[in-house]
Amino acid sequence: MNVIFIILLIVTTSFLDTLNQLLLKSSINILNLKVSNLRNILSMILRLALFPRVWLGFCFCTLSLFIWLFVLSKADLNFAFSADSVHYIFIALSSRLILKEKVGFRRWAGTALIIIGISLITWSNR
Amino acid sequence: MSKGKITLKILIFLIASDLLETFTQFCFKKSAVPQNELFIQNPADAMLFITNILGSGFLWIGLASVILTFVIWSTILSKIDLSVAVPIASFSYILVPLVSIIFLGEKMSLLDWAGISFIIAGVIFVASSTEKETAAA
Repeated sequence: MNVIFIILLIVTTSFLDTLNQLLLKSSINILNLKVSNLRNILSMILRLALFPRVWLGFCFCTLSLFIWLFVLSKADLNFAFSADSVHYIFIALSSRLILKEKVGFRRWAGTALIIIGISLITWSNR
Repeated sequence: MSKGKITLKILIFLIASDLLETFTQFCFKKSAVPQNELFIQNPADAMLFITNILGSGFLWIGLASVILTFVIWSTILSKIDLSVAVPIASFSYILVPLVSIIFLGEKMSLLDWAGISFIIAGVIFVASSTEKETAAA
């Protein structure tokens, strides 16, 4: 199986996971709750279930799981799991562009290191 | 907004979340392996893939492990900062390859390990950037 195709699928699952995170985070930001124990967390989850966008995120998450399982049926786990760290890049970009969070030098440097790492394992598994 | 120090309980939770994450990926891989020969060319193939995989016990064990990980992770984050928790959790980038080699018979080259080292360094950089930048914002 073509490693580029597998990488594209892994990028797709990471992209869908990032969309899910954005939908979740924006809902949590709207709720603006203080969470300190398991009980708070459970009550927050129940309130989050009322957001349609959380369900949309759940659909993305499910789709991502099936694509991930397809990837695992073809590729080595050690390769796929490492390459999946591409989601750190999507999270950094989307936090900056969509949620307007501040992304500093350290975070971009870390993201660059992750890109180098993924490139190395992709090169080695080509 | 610094939270509490890492207590023994939190450390055990962190190790448990690493082990569970690794166990989840192992189960997912096990559930997917029998579908190795299946190539998806049309929607019917995709449906076959999904029904086959839903019939695998490993998938359901893996999903149960995801839920347990989520509860443990939420508890960890309620006690310590994300910037502290993530570097420790990135230990799974070493555990998953080790499990792949020992239990799944996968092979890894030096270049793979080099790549993983870069990824772990990157994750630690990303995570350690959180606190300062939020404070500055």
